[in-house]
Amino acid sequence: MRPRVAVPLLLTLLALTFLASLAFGELRLSFGEVIGALTGGSDEVARTVVRDFRLPRALVGLAVGAALGASGVVMQAFFRNPLASPGLLGVSSGGALGAVAVLALGPMLGFAAATMWALPLASVVGAFAATGMVLMLAQRGAGTERLLLSGVALNALLGAGTSFLLTTTAGHFEVNAQILFWLMGGLESRSWEHVWMGVPAILVACLLLLPLGRAMDLLSLGEQSAQSLGVDVRRLRRQLIVLSTILTALATAVAGIVGFVGLVVPHVLRLAFGPDHRRLLPYSMLGGAIFLLACDLITRTFPLGLRLGVVTALIGGPFFLWLLRRPR
Amino acid sequence: MSTVTAPALHASGLAVPGRLEAVSLDLGPGELVALVGPNGAGKSTLVQALAGLLPAEGLVQWNGQSLSRIAMAERGRQLAWVGQEAHFEFAFPVCEVVAQGRYAWGDDPSGVAEALAELDLTFLADRPVTRLSGGERHRVGLARALATGAPIQLWDEPVAQLDVRHALEVMRLARRLADGGSTVVVSLHDLRAAYRFDRVLVLDHGRLVGNGKPHDVLTATLIREVFRVEATFVESLVPELPCP
Repeated sequence: MRPRVAVPLLLTLLALTFLASLAFGELRLSFGEVIGALTGGSDEVARTVVRDFRLPRALVGLAVGAALGASGVVMQAFFRNPLASPGLLGVSSGGALGAVAVLALGPMLGFAAATMWALPLASVVGAFAATGMVLMLAQRGAGTERLLLSGVALNALLGAGTSFLLTTTAGHFEVNAQILFWLMGGLESRSWEHVWMGVPAILVACLLLLPLGRAMDLLSLGEQSAQSLGVDVRRLRRQLIVLSTILTALATAVAGIVGFVGLVVPHVLRLAFGPDHRRLLPYSMLGGAIFLLACDLITRTFPLGLRLGVVTALIGGPFFLWLLRRPR
Repeated sequence: MSTVTAPALHASGLAVPGRLEAVSLDLGPGELVALVGPNGAGKSTLVQALAGLLPAEGLVQWNGQSLSRIAMAERGRQLAWVGQEAHFEFAFPVCEVVAQGRYAWGDDPSGVAEALAELDLTFLADRPVTRLSGGERHRVGLARALATGAPIQLWDEPVAQLDVRHALEVMRLARRLADGGSTVVVSLHDLRAAYRFDRVLVLDHGRLVGNGKPHDVLTATLIREVFRVEATFVESLVPELPCP
């Protein structure tokens, strides 16, 4: 496909999924009612539903999708591997362990009431601690391979910690269910607090990433050649790791673990519009947002208690397989 | 008239622990330099250390300036390096990979089309690099280095995977660049081709054991000691060899 059609196409899809996110749900609203609710018209119920419930949810979904899409592109360029994903260095598992620790230990320590802020905070702390640990472990030359293997080891370690907490709370049904819900990601009952927690910082990190696209092109074809062509590779790698960690950590903090977005979205867009990162970065932000909002719409349309992380994988997995089997 | 010009490439005590021992050398502008040595002698290490791509001890200067004082983008304008491996993971079109050579120039596209033509890649310009043969990928790497317009060119085994015609063309290109005032260092295994260079550097076990004019350096004795083969010199063969 020609890159020229990408921006109008993606923006249209984003506008549609965003509007649909505001219209669909238990109370079905027409697009006209949604616009009315946003601009001050419509009745009080519609205004409350749209402004206080659906708008923050949609904004969080949009930001989380954009963050994961962008983070996926960064990791794939960084590791020069189209199979890399945002969680590769243990950011998501660290965030998960942090959040699960608060959920599991909170009631014992008596701060369950504060989990509205405690949960995202613990998740961000866990995510950054994990990245910090990977960088420390892989220090000294910090070759890509070593970084990758350190990430694999740390992911296993943090996953074990999460599983341990999950089994120790098995007797406490409430806590256990909360943990499981969180581990499978979701956007329900996201409030304006969540928007302020995640969206501005995600926006800033995305904007800081955009000018790095050209240098990422060179990095994605080899570290040494990139450096020989004038890229400050050490600085670029540091910037990419920090920004991608911030994006994944914040996404995890406000929406739990949502897999597959960061892997599938950049991959699809690369196949459609080529690997140029100056385009792929913004496209993946838009594409991630579209994919996440669409998946969230599915979770609320099907009354099966489907979780967001389950839907992204249920759709992303088979689609990815189809993509790989398609003759190029 | 006789101003003392700094060597294009200067190294003193250049060392990489376990791989390269205190190499010192001066290469002038317009010199075509062959770098030879057995496998594992440290050719790639020396080339990378000269290009500033490896943490190394000692001093490296480009055009009289200490490498540590040259900003990254300026490095990209002064020296081009072509590695032995040419793997490309992402399906960039050939012309875009070559255009990356202009990164340090703010992506000003001048010289890209010429570089493509020079390496016989014009007809492949829109093909994804992931769908090229090994030799074609090497030519893409060379074209990208050429597109930088850098006056120092370091090519690590550029012809090892090329067919005879393209190998010849690459060698001729190296000679043309040197005649135009560039310093071109080419590592290679074909000792016969090395006789056609202005200067030969011989590495053995990480030490620089030969540095000078080809006929002075590549003697039967040195070839026996370094490469462990008995060389027979057949003068009449030399002009027919595929070399610059």
